[in-house]
Amino acid sequence: MATYAEMQEIFEDIKSDLRYDHELNGCLNCGICTATCPSAHFYDYSPREIVQLLWTENVEQIYDAMQEKIWACAQCMTCAARCPFKNSPGGLVAIMREVAIKHGLQSAKDVLRPFGRVMLKLITTGNQLSPDMIQPDHFPDWGPNIQKVEGNLKTLRKAIPLRTLQTTDTAWEVSLKTSVEMYTIWEMTGVLKSLEIMDENLYDVIQDFIEEKREEYEELVEKQADTDD
Amino acid sequence: MTQQYPSDGTGISGHGSFFQPTNLAPEEAAKATEWVRKHVDRRTLDLSERMDDVRDHMWALEKEGEIIVHRISDAHQPVNVQTLFGWNKKIPTMQLWHHKSCGQCGNIPGYPTALLWTMNKLGMVPGRDYLDETDQTSCTAWNYHGSGIGNLESLAAVFLRNFHQAYVSGKQHGHDTGHFFPLVHCGTSYGNYKEVRKYLIESPELREKVRKILGKLGRLVDGKLVIPEEIVHYSEWVHVMRNRIASELQTIDVSKIRATVHTACHYYKMVHEDAIYDPTVLGGNRTAVGTSVAQALGAQVIDYSTWYDCCGFGFRHIISEREFTRSFTMDRKIKVARVEANADVMLGIDTGCITTMDKNQWIGKAHEQNYSVPIMADIQFSALACGADPFKIVQLQWHASPCEEVVEKMGISWTESKKRFEAYLKEVEAGNIEYLYDPALAISR
Repeated sequence: MATYAEMQEIFEDIKSDLRYDHELNGCLNCGICTATCPSAHFYDYSPREIVQLLWTENVEQIYDAMQEKIWACAQCMTCAARCPFKNSPGGLVAIMREVAIKHGLQSAKDVLRPFGRVMLKLITTGNQLSPDMIQPDHFPDWGPNIQKVEGNLKTLRKAIPLRTLQTTDTAWEVSLKTSVEMYTIWEMTGVLKSLEIMDENLYDVIQDFIEEKREEYEELVEKQADTDD
Repeated sequence: MTQQYPSDGTGISGHGSFFQPTNLAPEEAAKATEWVRKHVDRRTLDLSERMDDVRDHMWALEKEGEIIVHRISDAHQPVNVQTLFGWNKKIPTMQLWHHKSCGQCGNIPGYPTALLWTMNKLGMVPGRDYLDETDQTSCTAWNYHGSGIGNLESLAAVFLRNFHQAYVSGKQHGHDTGHFFPLVHCGTSYGNYKEVRKYLIESPELREKVRKILGKLGRLVDGKLVIPEEIVHYSEWVHVMRNRIASELQTIDVSKIRATVHTACHYYKMVHEDAIYDPTVLGGNRTAVGTSVAQALGAQVIDYSTWYDCCGFGFRHIISEREFTRSFTMDRKIKVARVEANADVMLGIDTGCITTMDKNQWIGKAHEQNYSVPIMADIQFSALACGADPFKIVQLQWHASPCEEVVEKMGISWTESKKRFEAYLKEVEAGNIEYLYDPALAISR
């Protein structure tokens, strides 16, 4: 349990995001956001409550909501489209999630554990999803017709008439230069640091991968320079 | 005159004696309330007076030498459309840079193939009228909305990196900078990029932070950030091309097909003032994309009560809260499309929605929810109506929902197409692959 000062600091971090003043403009408690919210059907979650807690600067309850409730939001932004005050409860939740990660809240770590594979794929390739992640074995609940033609994944992907899509380990073929540029973005925007806070092992794997790819890219650039000479 | 409400001095519905029935005839009542209705009608409600058009500020920033706006020129052959508040939006129809979707390419490849096939059929020349290349990343917003890993700065840097590449991509193919204009395939990328653009235009601090990053990547032009004049979703291109698609390409009558449409939340609920509305589509009360092409092709568009609902994708939910995703999509989309609309097909315009609705039907049987509806993108349906092969081009073999049912109802033999495709797979194994464009065009240098 955090001290009041820590909770206050967390709230100040939320409030200092430049989006905050756009996403929160007032609240009549009309509840249209909650009435239209898909997550409110299934979870102990109410976008109206999130807005009210922030509006009234209830730092203890905000901290409490960050333990579980904010992770229920489906980020569809239906609430934002409906709010007569032009609030975006979904947008506020996104800021709260970022701050939960920054402060290394255990709830964020728990929630993000199953997300590791997607994260690894994203950070290292610049793609979030790949064909080899969506194999029938991984999703038995998707039923027996997940693939309507039998065959080897590589061949089936080669049968897609777009060169960029004939891949199995990325959604499309991403040039090495592109991936290396992504690493710079991750580093300079503090995303890798967030990952380190969340999952040190995953962070180590990603760092090794990035190092390897950067070396590969440097070799490629040298080779190209030699060819040009 | 008929007295419509009892007047006992207590007022209507207990609102007090001041509120007495007018007892006007319907036509008199309509006339008396005309002004009010005019002002609460969504199509005429002039919220635009209270809302900034971010594009005005964008032009000002360019004038001040802060940014370069990637313009939609006459060469892009733009079509003008109206957005929610009647604002104008230019949709380029030529010289397009395909900004792909990781979910579509990884999971629903028939989505981009159907789109490029349609462009080819309309006479567009790859490498001149469109480009599909390897130098692009995912927008990273699926991850952001799912996990919270990432931030406004990283989203903005990714946006500017990819759109800078679109701006300069023509050079490799002998064109000027700005030749290709980005066409965003994914609804979440589209919503996210629009949101990020707003903040970039508003915040000098954010611009300064990302300028350093883009500078390091060598992705500034004359030291400036490149921001596109419009952010355009592929469904908007389909919307403006719908009549040409129907009149020039359609070969199959779809008038017997009952189609329901699910429009992606991130298309019209994020930066909603920029979504297309058209008085001839759904009365102009709902966004037009998706529905408009189904109408143009002559399908029966069937309305249903949960049209506005999200699909249940949830970003992290489809991965780690699957009970939510499948329950919501079954209760609020599939069951309704089946029972209420008796739909032959549900058309989507985005990645996550199609994945969610397509993959989460079979599991319904576990709870005696035996409902199923074929799910595909508007452009896949459109390509089928224009004679595209259900396997080779529309790639329906990757869909879990019973797409064979709607294909057969359209008069296309699923079995024959499947046989042809299985024979083609042997050719693929032998290295005889058919392409929609010269594969060398895809390789960015």
